[in-house]
Amino acid sequence: MMQLFRRTLRGILEHLYLTVVGAGVIAAALLLIGTFVLVVRNLDGLVSTWNHDAHISAYFRPQTPAEVQVAAQQAIAGRREVASVEHVTAEEATVWMKEQMPQMAPVMDDLGKEALPASLEIVLKPEYLTTEQVEAFAKSLSDAGSFSEVDYGRDWVGRLDTFLSVLRIFGGVLGGLTAVGTLFLVANTVHLAVYARRDELAIMRLVGATDGYIVGPFAMEGALQGLLGSSVAIAMLWALHQSLEGRLATMLPAALGTQELAFLPAPSLLLLILVGTLGGTAVNTVAVVRFLRSLP
Amino acid sequence: MIRLYHVVKSYGDRDALRDVSFHVEKGEMVYLTGPSGAGKSTLLKLLYGAERPTSGKVLIGGTDISQLPAGNLPMIRRNVGVVFQDFKLLPMRTVAANVALALEVIGASEEQLRRRVPAVLNIVGLRGREDTVAGVLSGGEQQRVAIARAIVNDPAILLADEPTGNLDGSMAVEVLEILQAINLRGTTVLVATHDIGLMDRFPHRKLRLESGRAVSERPRR
Ligand SMILES: Nc1ncnc2c1ncn2[C@@H]1O[C@H](COP(=O)(O)OP(=O)(O)OP(=O)(O)O)[C@@H](O)[C@H]1O
Ligand SMILES: [Mg+2]
Repeated sequence: MMQLFRRTLRGILEHLYLTVVGAGVIAAALLLIGTFVLVVRNLDGLVSTWNHDAHISAYFRPQTPAEVQVAAQQAIAGRREVASVEHVTAEEATVWMKEQMPQMAPVMDDLGKEALPASLEIVLKPEYLTTEQVEAFAKSLSDAGSFSEVDYGRDWVGRLDTFLSVLRIFGGVLGGLTAVGTLFLVANTVHLAVYARRDELAIMRLVGATDGYIVGPFAMEGALQGLLGSSVAIAMLWALHQSLEGRLATMLPAALGTQELAFLPAPSLLLLILVGTLGGTAVNTVAVVRFLRSLP
Repeated sequence: MIRLYHVVKSYGDRDALRDVSFHVEKGEMVYLTGPSGAGKSTLLKLLYGAERPTSGKVLIGGTDISQLPAGNLPMIRRNVGVVFQDFKLLPMRTVAANVALALEVIGASEEQLRRRVPAVLNIVGLRGREDTVAGVLSGGEQQRVAIARAIVNDPAILLADEPTGNLDGSMAVEVLEILQAINLRGTTVLVATHDIGLMDRFPHRKLRLESGRAVSERPRR
């Protein structure tokens, strides 16, 4: 074992450049995969936050009497799908709007108290949150007749969902192609590394080395390259994540979702390291074994 | 030690060896001669397992190596040292490292390395050059390093394919003298060469190949 390690180290030092390039290519490949997973994960997270958030705004017709509004609130609160109903009066809506957009305040004042309609803000229980259920619920409110508009934002969440699944399929195909491409790149780099040592390998073969003896250090070197490559990839992913998080926070208003930009969870990171290490070992081993087959 | 029976080796429809039979006894030194393309290198390749005969038997110490599974190749190579015209050294490594490689691959201990490497360098007259980088040595010196590497784990047989092909005059004689000295220590030596003038200075038996056939010697019984 000590000897294997020493021979591996000697091989790495004698061909340091190729070893580093190999690790770099592995890092690039894993970075690509990692970025892809990270993007999909965050979009998924965003959609599910919006889904959970999904609330229904039902706007009363102008001049609906206050007692009718309260009665409607109580009726809706009694329905089994409903988690909570909040009554927002016209005045409250106006105050809220002024707070959100101070520059609009004079306009609001001109329009008077009833500029914005009173509304009910309804939150459904999580188990009634499928698109069909929300749609049906909204429709039952519209049909009741006392609301001028029922807004549940759910149609575009649904559209985003479809868009995301398209993106996921598209990304899957693209990711698959990239994976094949990078695999070729990795294989070529490793092939180059074997080629650089062809004389040494041929001589070892000539003086009676077993294939296992020759392959051992290569396999170990591949494992080290994979370990290094995946660590670098994770570090770069982390840096990417950090810089994006900072930028997104200033670019996107809180309205788009208050959730933090998620990083890959520990098991995924472990998997990435495992894939890198095993992949590096396998690719190197295959390259040497194939070369040895070609030797007399 | 070496016995060939009706060995045929074809590359496609080209016959490199056609029905070659001969014996080399233990401790013997034999020259393999013949014009270019006669099949000398091919015959040596059969003996160190780089090629398998198309038909016939190749026996080394009683074992038919053409029948052995590929996994046994390393065992054959440890018992058969080979030297080539182009030395096949690692030019960036030292003389000692080049020689030690043959010991390392068979799992020799540090202690064995320390003992054997200087001993064989002594035989080939390169004692004291251990730490020189092989690439800077003269052709004759490089060939002697290659010979040292070939004999460092005490093979029963030493094969040399045109060992003097890249060397001139005195250097070539020196290399053949070293091979002779190794033979005198008990190793069976088979040298392929087309340099007849050079060989005539040595008393050893000659086997001549022509177009893949042994011509100057009938196989012994
Ligand atoms: N791998 C191969 N594929 C096809 N033909 C080959 C191969 N190796 C050798 N030959 C042919 O076999 C014949 C014998 O070749 P070999 O190398 O044994 O000759 P040789 O006696 O060593 O010649 P030289 O003195 O030039 O080294 C030649 O005709 C050669 O072209
Ligand atoms: Mg030849």
